[in-house]
Amino acid sequence: MRELLRRIHYLLNRRRFDDELKEEMAFHREMADTHGGVPLGDALRLREDSREAWGVMWLDRFGQDLRYAFQAMRRSPGFTAAAVLVLAVGIGATVAAFSAFNMAALRPLPVRDPETILRFQRHAPGRTSTEVPYRAVAFYREHARTLSAVLAQTASSLSLKGAERSPSTFFVTANFFDELGARPGHGRLFTADDARPDAPPAVVLGHGFWASHFGSDPSVVGTSAHLNGKAVTIIGVVAREFSGLAGDAPAFWALVEHHGYFVHGSRLLTDFSSGVTMWGRLGPGASPQMAEAELAALAAELRRQHPGDIWEDERLLGEPGGYAPLTGATSMFALVGALVLLILAVACGNLGSLLLARGASRRREMALRSAIGAGTGRLIRQLFTESLVLAVMGCLGGLALGSLVLKGIMVSTEAPPWLDPTPDWRVVTFAIAMGFLSSVLFGLAPALQIARQKQKKTVGRTMLIGVQVASSCVLLIVAGLLVRAAERAASTDPGFEYEHVIVVEPSLSEHGYTAARARTYIQDLSARLRGIAGVEDLSLTSTPPLGDRRMTSPRQLDGRALDVYIHQVDPQYLTTMKIPLLRGRNLIEGDDRGVVVSESLARRNWPDRDPLGQPFKTGNEALTVVGIAGNARSLALGDPDAVELYRLARERDLTEMTVVARTSGPTEALAPAFSAAANGIDPNLRPRVHLLKDQFHQNVREIERGALAVSVLGVIALAVACLGVLGLVAYSVAQHTKEIGIRMALGARPGHILASLSSQFRGTIIGGLVLGVLGAAGLAQLLRRELYGLSTIDPIAYISAIILFLIAVGLAALWPARRALRVDPLVALRCD
Amino acid sequence: MPSGALVLLILRVLRSGPLHGYAIAQRIHTLSSDALRVEEGSLYPALQKILLKGWVTAAWGTSETHRKVRFYTLTRNGMKQLEAEAAQYDRQTRAIQTILRSA
Repeated sequence: MRELLRRIHYLLNRRRFDDELKEEMAFHREMADTHGGVPLGDALRLREDSREAWGVMWLDRFGQDLRYAFQAMRRSPGFTAAAVLVLAVGIGATVAAFSAFNMAALRPLPVRDPETILRFQRHAPGRTSTEVPYRAVAFYREHARTLSAVLAQTASSLSLKGAERSPSTFFVTANFFDELGARPGHGRLFTADDARPDAPPAVVLGHGFWASHFGSDPSVVGTSAHLNGKAVTIIGVVAREFSGLAGDAPAFWALVEHHGYFVHGSRLLTDFSSGVTMWGRLGPGASPQMAEAELAALAAELRRQHPGDIWEDERLLGEPGGYAPLTGATSMFALVGALVLLILAVACGNLGSLLLARGASRRREMALRSAIGAGTGRLIRQLFTESLVLAVMGCLGGLALGSLVLKGIMVSTEAPPWLDPTPDWRVVTFAIAMGFLSSVLFGLAPALQIARQKQKKTVGRTMLIGVQVASSCVLLIVAGLLVRAAERAASTDPGFEYEHVIVVEPSLSEHGYTAARARTYIQDLSARLRGIAGVEDLSLTSTPPLGDRRMTSPRQLDGRALDVYIHQVDPQYLTTMKIPLLRGRNLIEGDDRGVVVSESLARRNWPDRDPLGQPFKTGNEALTVVGIAGNARSLALGDPDAVELYRLARERDLTEMTVVARTSGPTEALAPAFSAAANGIDPNLRPRVHLLKDQFHQNVREIERGALAVSVLGVIALAVACLGVLGLVAYSVAQHTKEIGIRMALGARPGHILASLSSQFRGTIIGGLVLGVLGAAGLAQLLRRELYGLSTIDPIAYISAIILFLIAVGLAALWPARRALRVDPLVALRCD
Repeated sequence: MPSGALVLLILRVLRSGPLHGYAIAQRIHTLSSDALRVEEGSLYPALQKILLKGWVTAAWGTSETHRKVRFYTLTRNGMKQLEAEAAQYDRQTRAIQTILRSA
């Protein structure tokens, strides 16, 4: 420790110590001279040896290297600018992707003490549920000592008088805002008093809905609104930056205690049949394990009182609750991560070959430096320092570029306002790591090669070009696949009618309807809708086409896992949706065991047999195939592999039913009549009425947007790779000027010269292409499982990507190659 | 001469009192009956190392020829180091000599 302090002391005062050493050694020499005859060494060298003992020489050298690197960069500003730009693009892409991930997943939500919040789920052997019955939550809240607070939330869509669509409402416990440290934007938020039985029902507006629906008018606070036809006072607007705990914001916040007031037939507070999401805040000194142990004991106690409602051996498992839930988005992040790393690989490969090419022009300088005594290690260190300086600059550029791009994306996609794109320490660390990684990738190999004076061997360069070709090829092909998938989704017949269909979703189960009441309601609704002029046909389904609800049954077909989309419908459904019945018969009222399968399912499941009459097992029911219908991907538009099954809806499915109606004319004109008819049956119910074609176009747009984003990445990679090829060919022409001159003097045609030039790169580019195609095929497999269900073997996507690539690379190569053709033999032969 | 041995010798000649660099070299030379000659190329790096370790301190003084020069003084730590190293050196040489004689 003392020694370290002394070292630092030396480091800080090294000029003075150096002078002292000089003085001392001069004295030594004087004495030696007078006493005769000691042979003298070089004083400077001897002093350096002594200084080495201080252990600060490397710092001096590093400073030298840095100064030298800056000099070298100033000498070639064009090269420096190009290098920093390429690197900034590469690092910027990864930084943008990582910031998005960081923002959404790694950073806690902006609530008070997010680290002590746990989200609880019900677990028992063989059973899990993300929702906990509210009565159980109330019991835990009352008795748990390890939790200082228990929060709950459940979502509903309540109709708002005057609004076309039913806005979402989150029912929360009264302590929700207070516990999370939320501030009101206007008015006030809930207090414990609002939850008292005699308190008038109150709601708080979400900031986004307040802006979009009420035009950010502060005077709306204190007025009353009608939700599901029930009057309620708006007591405040929550602040803009409040995130809640679910990651998205509702239009209204209401109290769990008032669920029954708004939702007719609500059993949330009275029995254990419906649940809420439950969070708990750990009390001082409590650990998650202690909380789980206590809750397990409480659950056992509650089970003694309500044996049918709490599971045997039920436990509540806690997971970090202060973070936005990332369901389903992880594979998307993995995909984007893979794509941006490819861009970084292209950028690094590119810079590596740029540095190598520049190394050729610095051969003389390197030779000179090694002639005056610089060792190989010293030269490598020098070159690597130059790369490091480039990396630091690229890193800064990338950080700026990445944050800018992310901000742009967030503005254009209307991201939630609480997401903060400002880079934090994680993003900065990540950028530094990426910069260091890339400086190793692009700097070390060329540095080694240059310092060893072996730049005539082009192995390193060939590999660097190969990496670029392969990576940009992967990006282009994946982009091509996505573009084709989007095209297919937009242009091909989805197999069902969407232009002239109106969907009416009453959401009966959310409003406490029993099956019997639902039957009456649906009969009434159907009769009213049929009465509207222009309605041609009408039927029922539990899974509205292109809706969010889906029911699938996993199955092994052709050795692959495949989801069978199950539609619970009435017999009229196929006719209404204009899905053709190819063979066999339709579903008949009363025949619960018969099913109609899609042609694709028939072909896959019974490749060598007649599917008609074959048994089909789902769950523990044995069904029989009675008919085969055309393919209609009404629940998975972009997935050409989707297979469908239609069966009769049963009594208990009635509360989940949606009405679809086909009209003869344009649907826009009929929508108001539909709303009027649907709203007139039950005053508490505002069914959602929408046009199927709107949803269809929105689906197609989503697919197109994904394809566009990947295409942009692909084009960036292609541009960077072209730059690399351009530099390589230019370098090669410069290196072979003499040879080309001789050959031209001997009568070679331009064609010959070009052929001999291109023969050097042909192998590399073909090798890179092959690698790229293989990589793309692999990535497409991953994509296919998670995304739009694109086809992995789409020859047109592959071939057009490769052709685009070859044309771009060819043009990039041709430009510098023209110089080769203009070589004047006389000049070429004279230059050295 | 191995550098460890040089450090040992420097510490040993400083035990009798502060000396400057040239005098250290001279003293080693004389004490070894002219057998060992310490070059400045090894003396000053070794002195810098010992300074860093804290076994000696340096202070400016005036030489016998009335010139400003740095005198090195053994510290308490240096003394301990000298004793430890001398003992170790003793053991090692005796061991080596035993082997040389027996072989």
